[in-house]
Amino acid sequence: MNGWGIIRGLGVTLRHFFGTYAEDLRRGKSRYFTKQGVRERSASTVRGIFTVQYPEEKLIIPEEFRYLPFLVYDELESGEKKIRCTSCGICAKVCPPQCIWIERTTDPVTGRPVPAPVAFYIDIDICMNCGFCAEYCPFDAIKMDHDFEIASYDRKAEHIYALEKLLKPAVYYQSIRPENFAREEASRMEKEAKTSSKS
Amino acid sequence: MDEELNNPKYEIPPEIQHQVAITTVDKIYNWSRRNSLWPMMFGLACCAVEMIGAAASRYDFSRFGMEVMRASPRQADVMIVSGTVTKKMIPTIVRLYNQMGEPKYVVAMGVCASSGGPFKEGYSVVPGVDRFIPVDVYIPGCPPTPQALLYGLMALQEKIDQQSIQTVRWYKKGDSSPIPIPVLGPDLMDPRDFDLIKRRAQENLQMEEQVSPTNIEEADSHVG
Repeated sequence: MNGWGIIRGLGVTLRHFFGTYAEDLRRGKSRYFTKQGVRERSASTVRGIFTVQYPEEKLIIPEEFRYLPFLVYDELESGEKKIRCTSCGICAKVCPPQCIWIERTTDPVTGRPVPAPVAFYIDIDICMNCGFCAEYCPFDAIKMDHDFEIASYDRKAEHIYALEKLLKPAVYYQSIRPENFAREEASRMEKEAKTSSKS
Repeated sequence: MDEELNNPKYEIPPEIQHQVAITTVDKIYNWSRRNSLWPMMFGLACCAVEMIGAAASRYDFSRFGMEVMRASPRQADVMIVSGTVTKKMIPTIVRLYNQMGEPKYVVAMGVCASSGGPFKEGYSVVPGVDRFIPVDVYIPGCPPTPQALLYGLMALQEKIDQQSIQTVRWYKKGDSSPIPIPVLGPDLMDPRDFDLIKRRAQENLQMEEQVSPTNIEEADSHVG
């Protein structure tokens, strides 16, 4: 029959429409503005349609979500920041759009290179969020961040991140990517145990 | 009306406090401007898909007063440059920007629009749309998620809040001539740079005259 498809399609739309309100009436306001509510509403089993009320509530970000890279530092017991980066430059070499700039520290006395960055710049208006730097880093020093609220009015002044702006503690990394962090810590422990047993 | 809006820094006598509303011209201007930012409906590359996603019911930017996307620049307030700006496209974008009625705002969405991104040294891509039209908000990301775009648009609204009718550029005296449309020939040329280009060409010609073939032969014979 002609037009049957249109009627069926309209029926689906109507079912979604009523589904949204039926669930809202049954559950009240508990589905809104809470993390649990957003999780429930974005599940595949949900009936009806819903809008993320963005500034008040945000979508649950999966662990592997990536936005911009950041540098991880470990906080030592003395309170000192130990930057994991050794300025080997692998991330800058693999970066497809070439947005990373690293300068290595040189020892002022001997003039020899020290494995630590003296300057580290990422132009976040060129970074294409591919995650190759985090993938290739042999020291787990550069990781992809979850923060996406970074729009600003001035590109040159605010969108070229220097070392201070890129550094974030390992605790923060653990909080955004718990599974990755646990896996990396386990493999590092294993490696350390191996080297200590050899020597 | 908002508490924020009705805050004129003038003392209102207590007996008429709930009957009158006093505000400043700037505040009412900014309030109405920021709450009816209609974007122009045009997309350039993959970022456009995220922009469409932000306009659809899941993120729904009509919650912020960006009610509908207008297909005509005459009815639009904000231009979301969503994607890679190629040299072939920039004359059209500049023309669309000139056709928009003032006040007009530009949001560079994604790294390609802000700086050229991965194509920053490409032969066919403009390294940043801000070389031609003034950009108000830069949103990094490749592409920015719909939520990041919404954050950028909220940042634009905050920027509008800080403006004053006395200082914005569209109410200033003097000429408000349109931006000259770039010419796409063998390469992209900005009409504002024509004098410079002519001067450079002249200099090159003079250099060539100095190092003309006869001179080179003489130089060769000296070396030989």
